Amino acid sequence: MSTNTIPCTINGKDVEVKEGSTIIEAMKANGVEIAHYCWHPGLSVAGVCRMCMVEIEGNPRLQIACNTQVVKGMKINNTSDKVKDAVKWTLDFHLINHPLDCPICDQAGECGLQDQYMHYGKYEPEMAEAKVKKHKVVDLGPRVVLDSERCILCSRCVRFTDEVSKTNELGIFNRGDRADISTFPGKPLDNNYSMNTVDICPVGALTSKDFRFRQRAWLLKEHQTVCTGCSTGCSTKVFFNKEGLFRVKPVYNEQVNGHWMCDIGRDVYKFVNKEARLFDAKVSGKGTGAGNGLGAEWILPKRAALKVGETLRANKGKGVALVLTGQHTVEEYDALLGFFKNDLGSDRVFHWVNTVGGGPESLEAFDGLLLRGDRNPNTAGLKESLQKFGIKTQWKELLEGLASGAITTVVVAGPENQTFFPDFKAKVVELSKAPRLIWLTAGKNLDLDNLTGDVTLIPLKSYLEKSGTFVNHAGLRQKIAKGLTIVPNALSLTEVAELFAGREIEAAESCSSIGVGRVQNEATTVRGSL
Amino acid sequence: MAEVKYLSEHYDKKEYRSLEGYKKHGGYEQLPKALKMEAAKIIDEVKAAGLRGRGGAGFPCGMKWGFLPNNGEPRYLLCNADESEPGTFKDRVMMERAPHQLIEGMLIAAFAVKSHKAYIYIRGEYTGPAMILKQALAEAKAAGYIGKNILGSGFDCDIDLFIGAGAYICGEETGLISSLEGYKGQPKLKPPFPAVQGYLRKPTIVNNVETLASVVNIIRDGAQAYRKYGTEKSPGTKLFSISGNVNKPGTYEVPLGYKLMDLINNECGGMKPGRSLKAVIPGGSSAPVLTAKECENASMDYECIASLGSMLGSGAVIVIDDSNCMVDVLSTISHFYHHESCGQCTPCREGTGWVEKIIHSIVHGHGKAGDVDLLIKVADNMKGRTICALADAAALPVTSFVTKFRGEFEYFVANRKSMVKPNGANLGDAHVH
Repeated sequence: MSTNTIPCTINGKDVEVKEGSTIIEAMKANGVEIAHYCWHPGLSVAGVCRMCMVEIEGNPRLQIACNTQVVKGMKINNTSDKVKDAVKWTLDFHLINHPLDCPICDQAGECGLQDQYMHYGKYEPEMAEAKVKKHKVVDLGPRVVLDSERCILCSRCVRFTDEVSKTNELGIFNRGDRADISTFPGKPLDNNYSMNTVDICPVGALTSKDFRFRQRAWLLKEHQTVCTGCSTGCSTKVFFNKEGLFRVKPVYNEQVNGHWMCDIGRDVYKFVNKEARLFDAKVSGKGTGAGNGLGAEWILPKRAALKVGETLRANKGKGVALVLTGQHTVEEYDALLGFFKNDLGSDRVFHWVNTVGGGPESLEAFDGLLLRGDRNPNTAGLKESLQKFGIKTQWKELLEGLASGAITTVVVAGPENQTFFPDFKAKVVELSKAPRLIWLTAGKNLDLDNLTGDVTLIPLKSYLEKSGTFVNHAGLRQKIAKGLTIVPNALSLTEVAELFAGREIEAAESCSSIGVGRVQNEATTVRGSL
Repeated sequence: MAEVKYLSEHYDKKEYRSLEGYKKHGGYEQLPKALKMEAAKIIDEVKAAGLRGRGGAGFPCGMKWGFLPNNGEPRYLLCNADESEPGTFKDRVMMERAPHQLIEGMLIAAFAVKSHKAYIYIRGEYTGPAMILKQALAEAKAAGYIGKNILGSGFDCDIDLFIGAGAYICGEETGLISSLEGYKGQPKLKPPFPAVQGYLRKPTIVNNVETLASVVNIIRDGAQAYRKYGTEKSPGTKLFSISGNVNKPGTYEVPLGYKLMDLINNECGGMKPGRSLKAVIPGGSSAPVLTAKECENASMDYECIASLGSMLGSGAVIVIDDSNCMVDVLSTISHFYHHESCGQCTPCREGTGWVEKIIHSIVHGHGKAGDVDLLIKVADNMKGRTICALADAAALPVTSFVTKFRGEFEYFVANRKSMVKPNGANLGDAHVH
C-alpha cells in the first residue's frame, strides 16, 4: 500500500487522504459522518445498500463512496440537500418492508436503521400497501437466529462467511424483494466465528441466542478488556449492568484480532458472572472443629489469607509448593513468586499445563484465524516470570514430593476459567493428597467444595476486577484495566501475596459494581413497573 | 427505403441452418479472409463501419474491443444471447435461422480481440435455438472452424454454449458473467469494467448476437459498403422485433434511420381495422413510451429516438392501439421488473415491488389520491442509484407512462375503473402472485 497522500476536499474542507483510498475510507479517516450499511472495513465492497451516496463536483450522478476512489483534487460532498434527499429515499426503500418492531427488537438502541432515521428520515411513511412477509425466527445454527423481515440484505453476513470464516454457510436465496438470507439444507451456521455475523448485522435481523431478550442495549455499560479465552488475546468489550454481564463483543485491534473474535471467547463472561463465583473464603478441616467439611467456616478472604500467610511464614516455607496456571497477570505472578522465592525461600513452583483435547502438541494448534490451542491468556507471561525467578521445575517433581511426603502444603492459584481445564477434577484429586491445601480460585467448584481435610478456599478476582498485563502467544504485552466489581471481597494474587507476607492491603478503588442477587433495572425503577 | 435483406438475406432458406447450406450461400468465406488480416486491422474496420452494440446500449463495438488491456492475460469473448427484454425476439430469429452466421462472426471477433475461448450465453427459455446452436457448433467443430489451428492459421478458438436458467438480469453483461462463473446471476460493481476484469476476473468482451453476426458482413463488404445503410451516427441495418396491435407483427430488417410509421404501416401492415395508434414503446419494455404524435416523425436510429427522450434499445417495437388501457400496460411491465429485480441494490429491490403494488392497487380500484404523484417520486428515486440499469429500466416506463398518460391514471384512481375499458376484464389479475 502506498503511503503517499493526495489532496481533496470533503464538505468544503481541504484534507489530505491516503492515495488509493475510497471516499468512504477518506471520510472515516477524517472523522466525517457517512451513512452506510453494506460497507464494512473488514469485508469486500458490495455497493448494494446505496446509503453512502456522495456528490462529486463535475459528476451529475451521485456516486457511492464505498466503491469510488479518491482522485487528486476531488471535491466531495455528502451534506448537500441533493445527497440528503437521496439518502432519505434510500432509507425509505430500506424501511418500506421492514416490520418496524423496534419495541421487541434486540438491536433497538444500536440499530443502523434507527440511527439513520434520526439523521436523515423523520418523515411520514408513504407506503400504504402491504409489506412483504418473510420468515421469522429462523434457526440458523446453534448461536444465531434470523428474522428475515428485519433483514435489509446488506450481505455483510454472507460475505463474512465467504471471506473471513471461509465456511460459506450463508447465502441469499430468491430474488428481488423476496430475497432471503438462509443456510443450505442440513448445513447450519455452525462455525466458531458465527457470532460475528450478529455483530456486523446493521439491523436486528441476526440476533444472538445467548443475548436475545435478556437486556436492552441502552441499559448496558461497556468495559474494554482483553479476551482470556486463549493465548491470542483479542481486544474485546464486555457489556454489563447491575444485573451482571451479558455479552462480549470484539474491539478492532489491528495487531491482534482485526475486527473479529471467536465464539468461544464470547462465553468467557459466563464464568465471571456472580452465579459462577466463590464469594467468601472457606476454611475447613483441622482447627475449625469440622472434620468433614460440613461445618466449614466461612470467613473474609482477607482474614483467611492473613491466616494462611502466618502459618506459611511460621514453617519458613518448609514443604510448601505453589501451583500456577497461565490465567493470571504478569504482576500477580511476580508478586506471588516474590513471596515464595524471597520470603519463603521456596523453589517449588509448578506450572499446571492445561490442554483442551489432545496432548501437549495441541497447545500449538491454531485455527488459522484467531483461536489457539493454548486456552490461557498469559502462558507466555507465566513462563517469563518463572524464568525471571530462575524456576525450572517439572510437574512430576510435585507428584514425587507429594508421594514422599516432602511436600506437605500446596498453594494452588487455580484457573479462572475451569472450562478450559478438562483435567480439573483429576488435579483436585491429585493435589488433595497434600496434607494441607490452599486453593485460590475465582470460580466455585463442587469438587473443591466436597474436599475434606485441611482445605482453605480463597476467592480471587476475575480479569475484569483487576489491572495488569497479559502477554499473548506472540509476546505482545496487553494491559487490562479494572472495570467493575463482581465479588467485593475477592483478592487478586498480588493482594494475596501481600497478605501472605503479613502486610495489610489498601482498600480497593471504587468501581461500578454488580449487585448480589437480582436487582431491578434502573429504568423500571424510574418508570414504574408495567 | 424499405425493408432490406442485408443480414437476413438467406433467412428464408431452411438449409441456411446447416453448415452445408450456410456455405452454399457464401458462408465461412469471411473467416479465412479475416484470419489473414491483422487483428488490429479488423478492429479498425469495425470502428470505421461504426457498428454499434445491438443489445440495447448502442455502444460502439470497435471502441469496446479497443478497451482490452495488453497485459498478456487470457481474454474471453462472450456472446450475449440472453435476449430477455420484453418485446425482443430478433436474436432468437437469428440463432434459429442462421446459427453459423453468429459462429463465424464470433470467430472473427475472437480473432480480432485475441481470445481463445468464447461462450454463447443463451437464456434458458430458448430451448429451440439452443438445440440448433448446439448442432451448429458441433458441425463447425467437426469442419475445423472451431478448435485448434483454425483453417491452418495457427489461431485457436473454442466456443461453448452455456444455457442460463432464464433470468432477465443475466442479460446485463456483469450479471451474465456472474452466472457464467457459476454464481447467482447478479450484476457486479463497476469499476472494474468487464474489458479489464470480467469473466473469471480476466479481460472480457460481451457482445450481442446481432452485433457479432454483423461483423461477418463488415468483413465481407468493408466499412464503406456497410455505411451505405443507416445514418451517419447509426450506420448499418438492424433487425426490429415488432409486436403488439399491428396486422403483421414479426422481425423485420430495415436500415437504421427508417421511419417508425413506415415500419408500422408498410412492413407490419398497419393497425388493426378500426383502430388507431395510441403509443409505441420503441426499444423494449424499459424504453420510455412514445405517444402517437411523437411517433409521427420518429426515425429508428439511436439519435432520433434519444432526442425523443426514449431509447432504441434492442429494437423491440411494441405497438399499442387505442383499445389498450395504459394503466394496465404499465401494470404488466411493472410486474415484470418486480419479478426480475435481482434484489441486490435496495432502491431496485424495494422500489420495483413498491411500484407494482401501487399500480396493482390502482388497477384493482383501490387507488388513493396522491398515488400518481407517488409513482413518479418512487421511480425518480430509483433511477441512477443502483449497480446496474435494471432500476432505470423499471423506472423509465413508469415516469413516461404516468407523465404522458396522466389523465388515464388519474381517471382510474378517481373512478376506480379504466378510462379505456370501463367494462373490461378484471385488469391486471393475471399478474397477481
